[in-house]
Amino acid sequence: MVGLTRGGFPPMTGQDQDRACIGRLLEGETDAMEELYDRHNDLLYSLVRRIVGVPSEAEDVLQETWLHAWRTAASYDPSRGSVGAWLVTMARSRAIDRIRSEGARRRARETAGATPMEASPNDPANAAAESERRERVRAALAQLSPQHQEVLDLAYFGGLSQTEIAAQLSAPLGTVKSWTRQALLRLSELVPREEWL
Amino acid sequence: MSQHREEHLDLCAGYALGSLDDADRRTLEAHLREGCPICAAELTRFESGAALWAGSAPPMRAPSALRKRVLDAVRAEAAATPARRGADARAIRPAPPVDRRGSWMTWGLAAAACLGAVFGALEWRNATLRGRELAAAREELARLNAQLEDERRWAAVLTAPRAVTVQLAATPDGAPNLGARATYDPETRRALVVFSNFAAPTGNDYQLWAILKSGPSSLGLIRADSTGHAVVRLADAGDPASLAAFAVSLEKEGGAPTTTAPAGPVVMVGKLGG
Repeated sequence: MVGLTRGGFPPMTGQDQDRACIGRLLEGETDAMEELYDRHNDLLYSLVRRIVGVPSEAEDVLQETWLHAWRTAASYDPSRGSVGAWLVTMARSRAIDRIRSEGARRRARETAGATPMEASPNDPANAAAESERRERVRAALAQLSPQHQEVLDLAYFGGLSQTEIAAQLSAPLGTVKSWTRQALLRLSELVPREEWL
Repeated sequence: MSQHREEHLDLCAGYALGSLDDADRRTLEAHLREGCPICAAELTRFESGAALWAGSAPPMRAPSALRKRVLDAVRAEAAATPARRGADARAIRPAPPVDRRGSWMTWGLAAAACLGAVFGALEWRNATLRGRELAAAREELARLNAQLEDERRWAAVLTAPRAVTVQLAATPDGAPNLGARATYDPETRRALVVFSNFAAPTGNDYQLWAILKSGPSSLGLIRADSTGHAVVRLADAGDPASLAAFAVSLEKEGGAPTTTAPAGPVVMVGKLGG
């Protein structure tokens, strides 16, 4: 049950705030873009760096992603997922496109082992809570079996097809298909709904 | 519709990750197009689940300069296209994840072709949007001008040199708090009638009449708002040579059966010229 504040309204969740931001973007309010950026950019940057490796390319991908979000905010459909998931899908799609050029793919491999840095965002209070949430999600995701993690890594970060994954893991294609589904089901069980993007 | 099968769910998972091979992707897309509700729901769930996997990436810090670069770019675009958001933007739907796999050469050629097509499409779309916005703005302006002109004509009734104002008085059958005032311009035959305390009893309607030399002629029902206030605009209240008075009757709901004689009691009357 949702608790009420003294004012009588339930407190806004991050997802509520995100949806409100989309409404404001549609009114042309660029401030709403700042809010979305501050809430989500660290995750998007981590994701894109994981895929493309090279910092300058990751920055280009993110600029494209945020501009695309601004241009197509009206296309966001709440019935298909959260604003966070929408942004992640856009950023990942652009990053995968980017590595589908041999040069970028090679550079990604060369720089994949770069030392990660701790996030230090612009709004410390908001970001601390977001950072803690992310840490809890990471801990939950780490409980996936190594096999499932590998399938997701190769598909999600590597952009490989199921046939390519099967070849890489020396596993039958049918097995890769069923691992993929099991991995996504398990993943949604491991992460509590309130921790979703 | 092709029957839903368990393996469709395996395909949904791969689709959410964009990792399906072409043949599987085509199979699933055909099935989705047929409207399988099970797959549609599962696909949404898998897509949200897939986005969670982004959280497994090692946390990295984006350079602070990137924030300025991104937000400056957004603000510049917002300033350049202030009126870009509207029905057309809302019509854009997100495309489903599509596995754009193929040989690198095919990919390169396709990418180059797509790039050209995208730039062309963007230019066309921007031009179309600008054209539509301009046309819509012109249409709105014309509508507002027509509305303004109409309001001017009605306002002119009140200031017309030969306009006559009549205060209607309640008859013994009318409630004493009823109020009505008519302004009639014999030049244009227009009239404005303002009513107060005209909330009709349940099951009844008040009806306005022009009393002509030939007899009464209905000018329509009086529809007051919740406070009993109403304004009736009459484009032709009657020939000044014939119009002698305005009257109001209380009728059963829907008004008098004929337009030439009240059926209910006359509750107010106001004679022109005293």
